Amino acid sequence: MRVIIKGITKRFGALKAIDNASLTIKEGDFFTLLGPSGCGKTTLLRTVAGFYSPDEGEVIFGDQVINDIPAHRRETGMVFQNYALFPHLRVFDNVAYGLRARKVSSGEIRQRVESILKSVQLDGYEERYPSQLSGGQQQRVALARALVISPKVLLMDEPLSNLDAKLRVSMREEIKKIQKMLGITTIYVTHDQEEAMAVSDYIAIVNKGKIEQIGTPYDIYYKPRSRFVAEFMGSSNILSAEVASYDDEKELLRVKINEDTVQIRTPKPSSESIMLSLRPEWIQIVGEEARSQPNVFAGTIVSSTFLGSMLRYVISGFGGQPLSVEIHDPQNAQVKEAGDNVLFRFDPDRPVILDK
Amino acid sequence: MRKLFTAWNIVLIVVFATLFLSVVYPIFFIFKASFISNETGLLSLESYRAFFHYPYYLRCLRNSLFVSAASTIVAMILGIPFAFFLSRFHVPGKSIIKTLGTLPLILPTFIGAEAWLILLGRNGILYNMFHKIGLDIPTIYGWKGIVLVFSLQFFPFVFLMVSAAINSIDSSLEESATNLGATKLRVFRTVTLPVVTPSIFAGGLVVFYLSIENFGVPILIGEDFRVLSVQAYNEFISEMGGNPSMAGSLSMILLAITLGLTVLQKYWVERKSYAMSFLRPPEVKRLKPLPTFLIWLFCVLLVFVALFPFIVVIIASVTKTQGPVMYFGQFSFDNFVKAFTLAPRPILNSFFLSTTATLVGVVFGIVVSYLVVRRRGPVSYLLDLLIMLPLAIAGTVLGIALAATYNKGPIVLTGTWLILALAYFIRKVPFSIKTTSSLLQQIDTSIEEASINLGVPPLLSFIKVIIPIMLPGILAGAIIMWVTTLAELSSTIVLYYGPWTTMTVEIFQRIGSGDFGPASAYATILIVSVLIPLFILNKVLGKDLASSL
Repeated sequence: MRVIIKGITKRFGALKAIDNASLTIKEGDFFTLLGPSGCGKTTLLRTVAGFYSPDEGEVIFGDQVINDIPAHRRETGMVFQNYALFPHLRVFDNVAYGLRARKVSSGEIRQRVESILKSVQLDGYEERYPSQLSGGQQQRVALARALVISPKVLLMDEPLSNLDAKLRVSMREEIKKIQKMLGITTIYVTHDQEEAMAVSDYIAIVNKGKIEQIGTPYDIYYKPRSRFVAEFMGSSNILSAEVASYDDEKELLRVKINEDTVQIRTPKPSSESIMLSLRPEWIQIVGEEARSQPNVFAGTIVSSTFLGSMLRYVISGFGGQPLSVEIHDPQNAQVKEAGDNVLFRFDPDRPVILDK
Repeated sequence: MRKLFTAWNIVLIVVFATLFLSVVYPIFFIFKASFISNETGLLSLESYRAFFHYPYYLRCLRNSLFVSAASTIVAMILGIPFAFFLSRFHVPGKSIIKTLGTLPLILPTFIGAEAWLILLGRNGILYNMFHKIGLDIPTIYGWKGIVLVFSLQFFPFVFLMVSAAINSIDSSLEESATNLGATKLRVFRTVTLPVVTPSIFAGGLVVFYLSIENFGVPILIGEDFRVLSVQAYNEFISEMGGNPSMAGSLSMILLAITLGLTVLQKYWVERKSYAMSFLRPPEVKRLKPLPTFLIWLFCVLLVFVALFPFIVVIIASVTKTQGPVMYFGQFSFDNFVKAFTLAPRPILNSFFLSTTATLVGVVFGIVVSYLVVRRRGPVSYLLDLLIMLPLAIAGTVLGIALAATYNKGPIVLTGTWLILALAYFIRKVPFSIKTTSSLLQQIDTSIEEASINLGVPPLLSFIKVIIPIMLPGILAGAIIMWVTTLAELSSTIVLYYGPWTTMTVEIFQRIGSGDFGPASAYATILIVSVLIPLFILNKVLGKDLASSL
């Protein structure tokens, strides 16, 4: 089922929880709403579920506007952050709940519940109460309960946030696998950018009620359009620069950051003063012999933190701005100490020009 | 969506109308009556003027305040160490002492007074015993007796609130004070006590409120020591047609006090309580044998003295009696036989009225809780305030208000059982609402939403999912409501009429005419009827009295 959100605005009193949000989700896509807490992503999800009615705009399933269809007739399957399992019902009855509401025959209920419990690897747990299950198992029951009704759309509201880190990783793999197997259109809400990248076909970055950017995880990471997206997806060094010259033939932009001239391969920017995003892993520490290469600058190590898989430096460069630098697999790197003077460089293809 | 909205509106209107007709309007009615002259029928301040002019009335006010303050102090003196000992030290038989120690608060106070009359009345057995050997010990009559009964029956409130506070102090708090160099006494004075203080006051306020609102005890053993509730009742019920204006103004003065106490409770004590994130409960210390024994003795004696009156009543019920003369030592079931065969009506009436009030109360409680907890808004906020109003009205005052309002005019209810059921319902429904709404608050809305999402309409989702989850709590609330209405005297005494005499009225009247035998039989039936549901509450639902109040 294709889902279209068209110009949705939702107010709570004076606060605009969602501000003119529009997006299209193709049939079978895994679509994630990603943003910090309080950004409006859950409100948007609950609007799709029918728990909120929008002040403006339309929610469309397939070709049908469903604004006036009450929540209990929307045929969505929702997985709640706290699972919302019925504590007085056994696993079987929890999963069967939606089927019974649909007056499915008891034989078919048994067969469908057993089959879905098998696919979430919970066969044999039918007679347990939710309180007798671990967090991960409760999560699977919640997923099974939402999926068993064959919903048009699967809605997931921070489903993994109550699990510990290891379980979170294995559960997200499993959710992704089941989603692909069933080919069900899914809207997933999370504040965890790594989780979003791991599971999603498309991500919408939500900030203060507005959708900042929609794209594949790859696009969002490498081509962030705004400072917010650049900083929210991974970490980023944000630098202000003034355009010095533009070479149309080579598509090469020269900008000044303080005293230094930086080369960037990019289409011509529309503005004279621009903002750059430079990811810490794009910066390398180089030796004297690299001096002649483009984009090599001098800096001083401010701090050095060893994190196992990487080494993180803060370098003072471009006239004293703190720059975060990450060296992966640092075993063979020559470790610098605070106060050391170093040279650093980055590829002219890498920096991203942000919309202000 | 639209249809549901209007359905809830109808519910809202019914709820507000119920509250308006059973509380707001009757209170307004006697408020108005208190400003109307009995002679001219015009607006007048004459009854208030009389109140503040005649020492006779002013003394009632002073007596009420005095006896309540004294009872509060004594209840604190008993309840605080009781709480402290049981929470902090190893005491043999702790759990049974705790259970028995909370019982007095659910047992009817006027039955306690009856027992003391049997023991220390003018014809009391203890009094007579000492009189025979030439010793005149004090009788139970007057303020001292009232304070004795109140403090013995109300100290459990102090005990419950204080021990809850003591047990919520994380042990690291006291440990860090010790670590910073404070002596044991200093730790107690500067950390433990200040943290517990709001709860001590909260408990004290409850005792004060219950004392000033009480009617049965002062009317039975107060004699010349008149208090407000008794005087209001006398003015209203007087043989000479009564003085509605004076009854009204006495009620208003009592109402002003109880309302003030309730507001104080809500805004002052609630704000000053320290919520602590619970990490490690305080350590229970094992003292040396002698101090342990002394603590144990204190606790056991207190519980024994508090429950002794009820044992006396039970014994009296199976004692051979002839009019006011009791032959202690001579066993007889006559009192029960008479109660069950000759006059079973009061028992049936009480059961019927309590059950009716409770059933309506449970449904009402669920509906109002839903409105208050799940449909937040200015209307539900008003409802939340309004629904707690009955808690601030003394039973006598409510009885007088209902009787005065529905005596004539478009709705006449006096002389029917309805007015009794209504009074029971409205007096105790706040408890039902409190339990249900606090339960509902604990149930995450997402549980309901999950059900709706799976295809069940909202109202049906509430019935299928939320009510089953709340059921044990609802049952507990219903049991509490049932037993407390069963023991209700202060509004019943104003509102009952012949055929609808209740057990409480029957006991009260029998005590008045000195028929302690039959009175004790009814009292015993009442005590058993209260204890059996509480036992069920404890054993089947696994809830104790303290957590259900």
